[in-house]
Amino acid sequence: MALLQISEPGQSSAPHQHRFSAGIDLGTTNSLVSTVRSGIAETLPDECGNVLLPSIVYMGNEQRLVGHEAQKYQSDDPLNTLSSIKRLMGRGIDDISQLGNVLPYEFVTDENQVVPRIKTATGAISAVEVSAEILKKLAERAQKTLGGKLDGVVITVPAYFDDAQRQATRDAATLAGLNVYRLLNEPTAAAVAYGLDQQHDGVIAVYDLGGGTFDISILRLNKGIFEVLATGGDSALGGDDIDHALGEWILEQAQFEQLDAVLSRRILIAARAAKEALTTQKTTEISVNYADQTWQGSLTIEQFNLITQPIIKKTLTPCRRVLRDANIDIDQIAQIVMVGGSTRVPLVPQMVEGFFQRKPMTDLDPDQVVVIGAAIQADVLSGNKPDSEMLLLDVLPLSLGIETMGGLSEKIISRNTPIPVAKAQEFTTFKNGQTSMSVHVIQGERELVSDCRSLARFELRGFPPMVAGAARIRVTYQVDADGLMTVSAEELTSGVTADIVVKPSYGLTDTEIESMLRASMDFAQEDIELRMLKEQQVEAKRVIEALDSALVSDGHSLLGETEINNILLHRNQLEQQIESTTSDNLKKMIKAVEVASESYVAKRMNSSVVKALAGKQIDEVNF
Amino acid sequence: MKVLDLSQSYFDLFKQPLSFEIDLAQLHENQQNLQAKFHPDRFVNASDQEKRLSVQQASWVNEAYQTLANPVKRARYMLEVSGQDMKDESETTSDIEFLMEQIALREQMEEVRDKQDPLEECDNIIKHLKLRSKEISDDFSNQFESGDLQAANLVSRKMQFVQRILEQVMDLQFQLEEEFS
Repeated sequence: MALLQISEPGQSSAPHQHRFSAGIDLGTTNSLVSTVRSGIAETLPDECGNVLLPSIVYMGNEQRLVGHEAQKYQSDDPLNTLSSIKRLMGRGIDDISQLGNVLPYEFVTDENQVVPRIKTATGAISAVEVSAEILKKLAERAQKTLGGKLDGVVITVPAYFDDAQRQATRDAATLAGLNVYRLLNEPTAAAVAYGLDQQHDGVIAVYDLGGGTFDISILRLNKGIFEVLATGGDSALGGDDIDHALGEWILEQAQFEQLDAVLSRRILIAARAAKEALTTQKTTEISVNYADQTWQGSLTIEQFNLITQPIIKKTLTPCRRVLRDANIDIDQIAQIVMVGGSTRVPLVPQMVEGFFQRKPMTDLDPDQVVVIGAAIQADVLSGNKPDSEMLLLDVLPLSLGIETMGGLSEKIISRNTPIPVAKAQEFTTFKNGQTSMSVHVIQGERELVSDCRSLARFELRGFPPMVAGAARIRVTYQVDADGLMTVSAEELTSGVTADIVVKPSYGLTDTEIESMLRASMDFAQEDIELRMLKEQQVEAKRVIEALDSALVSDGHSLLGETEINNILLHRNQLEQQIESTTSDNLKKMIKAVEVASESYVAKRMNSSVVKALAGKQIDEVNF
Repeated sequence: MKVLDLSQSYFDLFKQPLSFEIDLAQLHENQQNLQAKFHPDRFVNASDQEKRLSVQQASWVNEAYQTLANPVKRARYMLEVSGQDMKDESETTSDIEFLMEQIALREQMEEVRDKQDPLEECDNIIKHLKLRSKEISDDFSNQFESGDLQAANLVSRKMQFVQRILEQVMDLQFQLEEEFS
């Protein structure tokens, strides 16, 4: 019903096209969404005012619940309440067994799927699908606040995430129906949040200890350009490990006789609560109750420090390594930025200060600093700030290589190479008439292929048969700005482009993603109807409001009684049924109101033109 | 979008003369200016073709910068653009004195762990290697300027060797530091 919104002549009714964008921090423990409005990044709360969305999905019989609603089921139904899922992203079944008893779930795989699924009461589900649920919830929150569809998002990932983990994150976004502008490394996002606030130029270190991952990055800031010099870390080290160490301590103290999934989960919940209490207190009481087994005890900060010290110490090795990789001495570091909820554990800033010999910055909320940086980057990438000079230059966190004879790795692109980057390599055939060859791409620093992560096996097919050694096959490895790799190959003497058949070692195949997408759409069909209904209800209210205010201002001067009554008839019908009919019906009724008021709209247009022209000389009016 | 001429040399791209002596600060600044124009972040809302082009151009700028910023890669690249066949590895150095030096350095490295202060011994070797690296680089620069590309080529292989062993000693030192900490 746009025609009723008459703007004064000479005024534009279409404001400058603004794209809605958001930053999303998809965390191990909590996830957040933030968006820039009126130049300021704000983290968006839910209806109850919580900015943190627990990264938990409950696989209920009726529906899937996400966040606080899911968290309620954690202690009573741990096997169907999925948490710390980020640790499983891009991981194969072998990696998961290495995580040991960190996660209580049972996994299923079959021959056609390399991605393990978690067994739940309502069916098996992959980490990518669980993450997609969390992303959907956050996107909904942003769209509700912004009042429109998101054009694109920036999702943060640990800098130390490998190709498979990054790809899994992108796949989750695809499943959630989101357009990803960029995957942004968490430490870089944190630097953006701080750097723009304070306009520092110089070298900074970002120390990021989250729930399940640790990252350390060294960046140089110069006139709006954030250049990552080196990055390192441990993608399986975080606050969860502190909970587990403390959980083991509780177990040792309590001497429970029988340990099952529910009791284990309760011990972990108690451990986490104690950890959180000790961020502000010197001592805390712990109690665990389950069936007829109970335990109570107290924990002092000194004891707690003894338990956590070995875990935090593990973070210092990557710190030393990145300094060396960046070719930076400790005294050149101008600032240390602390990121991640786990940096609230008092021993963390103490040990970081001891290492860097400088007090770390903790001005911004360590839970929010990453998502704020992501929102700022999303705003710039959306094109809303054409004059912004901000540019983030990132690096490849782990070397890319290929398998050579004897199971050895040959590095193609070494870690900390700025991205995007492309490297080409030439191979030849070793048999007469050979028309195919396979390349095994790996990621990691170790010499043995078995110590690195397998990314994919590429089968190059279809180049012309030649005598051994005559073919020259050039394989190009391209890493894009998200840190994701693609491979292409060409036989140079004939110019034939080889077909590449990719077998990802851990990722989902395109067909799998497609079928998940279809499944999630079936699942979401009801949601869609609900959303459309909401939209039509809002539209109906808007139409009624616009009509009413128009009628008050000039209804009686422009219209006769019959005309007014006819319009009101349709208007009242619409108003009566707003809450009780389907979106399709609402749409029809809105249309009916519009048709009934067509001549009124035309009259208003004319009268507003007359009003605008009144009192003006003819030469002021340009036709 | 503006498109870079990918057939130009890295030196032309960064507006630097074809010389081993290079203004690293200027190089860095030029690289950042080029990335500000060509980085994929500048083409998020562009067409797929422009996106692909931007990834290609930004990758090329990165590769060019990485090549010129690293002395060994820079030296090898200078020879390559001057028409030397850099793939032919057959003519290894026949400099007996240098071969002996290599062997001695390898032995010294293997004995690091037996020293009273292995970390300090690593420091000593690193200091020595950095000095040698500077001498050999100067040698390369002179040979290249004088136009003796074949001699320069041989010197560039010495640079490669010294660089590699320097990295190995630094790795070893890092490993030792970890063991002691």
